[in-house]
Amino acid sequence: MMGAIRAELVKLRRSLSWAVVLFLPLMAVVTGVVNTLVSGQPPGDGWHTLWMRIVVFYGLFPLAAGVAVLASLVWRVEHRGGNWNALMGRVTSSLDIVVAKTTVTAALAAALQAVLVVGVIVAGKLVFDLPGLLPPRYLAVSVVIVVACLPLAALQSGLSMLMRSFAAPVAVALAGATVGTLLLLTRVEAPSLLLPYGLVSRATQVGTGAFADDGSVALPALGVLVAVALALTVALVAGAAVLLDRRDVR
Amino acid sequence: MSNAIITHDLKKTYGKRTVVHDLHLRVPQGCVYGFLGPNGSGKSTTMKMLLSLVRPTAGEVHVLGRPMRRSTRRELLGEIGSLIEAPPAYGHLTGAENMRLVRHLLDLDQGQVQRAVQTVRLQDHLDKRVREYSLGMRQRLGIAMALAREPRVLILDEPTNGLDPAGIEEVRDLLTRLAARGITVMVSSHLLGEIDRTASVLGILAGGRMLFQGTREQLFSRSTPDVLVDTPEPERATTLAGRWNAVRDGDRVRVPGLDHAATAHLVDRLVHERIPVHGVRREEQSLEDVFMDLTGGRGL
Ligand SMILES: Nc1ncnc2c1ncn2[C@@H]1O[C@H](COP(=O)(O)OP(=O)(O)O)[C@@H](O)[C@H]1O
Ligand SMILES: [Mg+2]
Repeated sequence: MMGAIRAELVKLRRSLSWAVVLFLPLMAVVTGVVNTLVSGQPPGDGWHTLWMRIVVFYGLFPLAAGVAVLASLVWRVEHRGGNWNALMGRVTSSLDIVVAKTTVTAALAAALQAVLVVGVIVAGKLVFDLPGLLPPRYLAVSVVIVVACLPLAALQSGLSMLMRSFAAPVAVALAGATVGTLLLLTRVEAPSLLLPYGLVSRATQVGTGAFADDGSVALPALGVLVAVALALTVALVAGAAVLLDRRDVR
Repeated sequence: MSNAIITHDLKKTYGKRTVVHDLHLRVPQGCVYGFLGPNGSGKSTTMKMLLSLVRPTAGEVHVLGRPMRRSTRRELLGEIGSLIEAPPAYGHLTGAENMRLVRHLLDLDQGQVQRAVQTVRLQDHLDKRVREYSLGMRQRLGIAMALAREPRVLILDEPTNGLDPAGIEEVRDLLTRLAARGITVMVSSHLLGEIDRTASVLGILAGGRMLFQGTREQLFSRSTPDVLVDTPEPERATTLAGRWNAVRDGDRVRVPGLDHAATAHLVDRLVHERIPVHGVRREEQSLEDVFMDLTGGRGL
């Protein structure tokens, strides 16, 4: 399994993925900053307001779309030429293939979050001259967001595995994010958490008081998010591995 | 001689169309097996079933004495190198990066990778991106990727497709060297000439059915080459040999389908009629001619 993951890391060289990892969070930061400047309302509650304006919006659509694009990029090369035949014609098991692809997609999603955090800090210091640094609670929330991206990465990786089209899985992600947002708006939390799109959105809202969030960063609530994320990931990876193993090449 | 690959009643149906019919493949160990057939005859589909990339509608595949199924494939695939339909490789990576990726994936050592690259003579082009490779280089890289694990069986689907004559010659030479090392090589082509002389055993597929399977000698012995008579009086000789369907062919007389006894009889008649005979011989046959015979003149 380590071999399969190392092979995936080699494939990331010169990949377009890095551009996505850099630009998507920066776009979110710039959008949040511009909106704040245009509205003429400075971030009243300092870092907290800035985080909410940037990260909550980012968590509603851009994050799901970004992970979907990354998963499509990760699988795109396999759908070309004789690569699929070669991939399935080697000893590497279907489970190892799926785990490696999911791991790489999830690692790129974690990189998205890292760029986002750096972007928020830079914007806070340089644009709004906020005191101190980003409160540590948001670093804890970032870890939860990264974990919440695991099932999303597993799902999108699975979709991009099954579909040769680059755009179709991204369209599914946007539709899924819409459903997730609607579920969160109606404050029916349980079903929204079982949908990977709802789960990431919910994770980006932790500590902000937006939607169903109560504004606190409490360990039990985070524990539930993490547990749901891990359970969903295992189920989605196992499902994708079974599908891959059963499928014939074209 | 034992067989590296055996199939029993192998069959594949897509919808209502059967594209491979009850195939009994016998690929002897250590040979180059030429798998010939026109485009769409089912070569790729058959090879995919050998690797369990596609599940057969019916029938069985045995590779190196073990059944090849979905449940057993990963273990068996370790003994098989393959290149199906198009060469693999990631265009945005260099040749060296592609080989490194295979090394990680299959847990190989540097030496194995180096030997594979040297076998296909690609060591001087490893720093170029594969996107910039010629088709021939891509085919060779694909073969190196298939070879790196030092497989006992190599399954190559049209590795000479789209190559120039020099490239084709290079692949042929490579296949011969691999077989000399004891590797069983099964190679497909839709062009007879591309694997003519390289393959010692041939399987000829048309419309999903095996028309012939056996050695080159067996194939040649199935058809009788024309008898050619050199004579300064071809007109008279042709008339004389009319009852054997002789035709005049320039300064010669060509008589098809003649067995040994009939040939002796013909010569006897010519001598009896005092027609000077300068030479009598069998026409040298190419695989192409034999194949024409086999398919009733349709060719590949
Ligand atoms: N996945 C598929 N679905 C439907 N028909 C297929 C599929 N794969 C191959 N075929 C058909 O099977 C026949 C044999 O194809 P193939 O094995 O690729 O032939 P070859 O490799 O000899 O050119 C063709 O007519 C092709 O259209
Ligand atoms: Mg083919």
